Amino acid sequence: MGGGYVIVPLLNSELVEKNNWITKEDVVDFYAMGQCVPGIIAVNTTLFIGYKLRGKTGALTAFFGLILPPFLAIIFLASILMKFSDNVIMNDIFWGVNIAIVILMFLTVKEVWNTSIVDKFTLFLFSFILILSVVGVSPSISIVLAGILGIIYNLIKKIKEDRL
Amino acid sequence: MIYLLLFVEFFKIGIFSFGGGYATMPFLYHISDTYHWFSYEELSRMLAISSITPGPVGLNVATFAGFKTSGILGSIDATLAIMIPSFIIVILISKILKKFKDNFYTKAILYALRPAAAAMIAAVGVRLFKTYIFSIKNVSIFDSIDIKAFMLFILLVLISLKLKKDPLVYLLIGAFFGIILHFGHILNLFA
Repeated sequence: MGGGYVIVPLLNSELVEKNNWITKEDVVDFYAMGQCVPGIIAVNTTLFIGYKLRGKTGALTAFFGLILPPFLAIIFLASILMKFSDNVIMNDIFWGVNIAIVILMFLTVKEVWNTSIVDKFTLFLFSFILILSVVGVSPSISIVLAGILGIIYNLIKKIKEDRL
Repeated sequence: MIYLLLFVEFFKIGIFSFGGGYATMPFLYHISDTYHWFSYEELSRMLAISSITPGPVGLNVATFAGFKTSGILGSIDATLAIMIPSFIIVILISKILKKFKDNFYTKAILYALRPAAAAMIAAVGVRLFKTYIFSIKNVSIFDSIDIKAFMLFILLVLISLKLKKDPLVYLLIGAFFGIILHFGHILNLFA
């Protein structure tokens, strides 16, 4: 439950301690790598480990092992929820839940702030992308743009450092 | 046709979202704006349910959104589409793992993507704040604020200063006040 970092202790107990398939260092490495590539971190980590153990088939097997229980749970809950979507008490409960979600968005930003906004350039990027997103620019375009700006900035920085 | 469109949109999330979990939400709100397969309200419900269901939140939301758009086939479609880019990339770079992580361009891109992903999530927060709490309908500021929603918002902000971030706690507090509101409605406390 929760996704993201909660997967690390689970991987440690199941794959390292119970089955000895990989080492604890592997788990940390693969989790770090999972954050370096696009997509959902837990999925990436699982794919890396599956691929290391059994190649492409291993990656796919690991993915389906990861996804199947929540997939069935979501289908089940989604079907129920749709039946009660006009229910008055449900609407009131979700009124409160919606407000909690607004907070959760800002808390997520607060949580990653110190590791993401580390200097003037990253602060500028944060403000720039925030404005783009608020006026409705597509997230895919924002991400590509940020990536390009990141490369340009670091290239310029590198050239300057090399000159010194 | 909808399956193809659904696949393309979730494939894009698989390629362009960094960080997982809440990082996929900006894309889903954008899809909501563009195609109207689901509303903001429905997305918030999906996120809440996905947070209390086992499994990675980002993947759960994709499954849910696919289901909402076009049933079980839609949920399979969206779940696979969001994962296929990861699968291809993992296989491509597994062989050069160590080099990839320390590569100049990988570092330069990630350095920029972290603040960008954070900004996109902040923008979702702003958008939801405008949807649920402060929607500019009238000239007067007081008419634009949903007072009850604003009070709950402030309460949750105060709680967040004391509490560690566990999404479940906030969702449960929100649900609790939702129930109180419900009985308030029944007893006609809020005219």
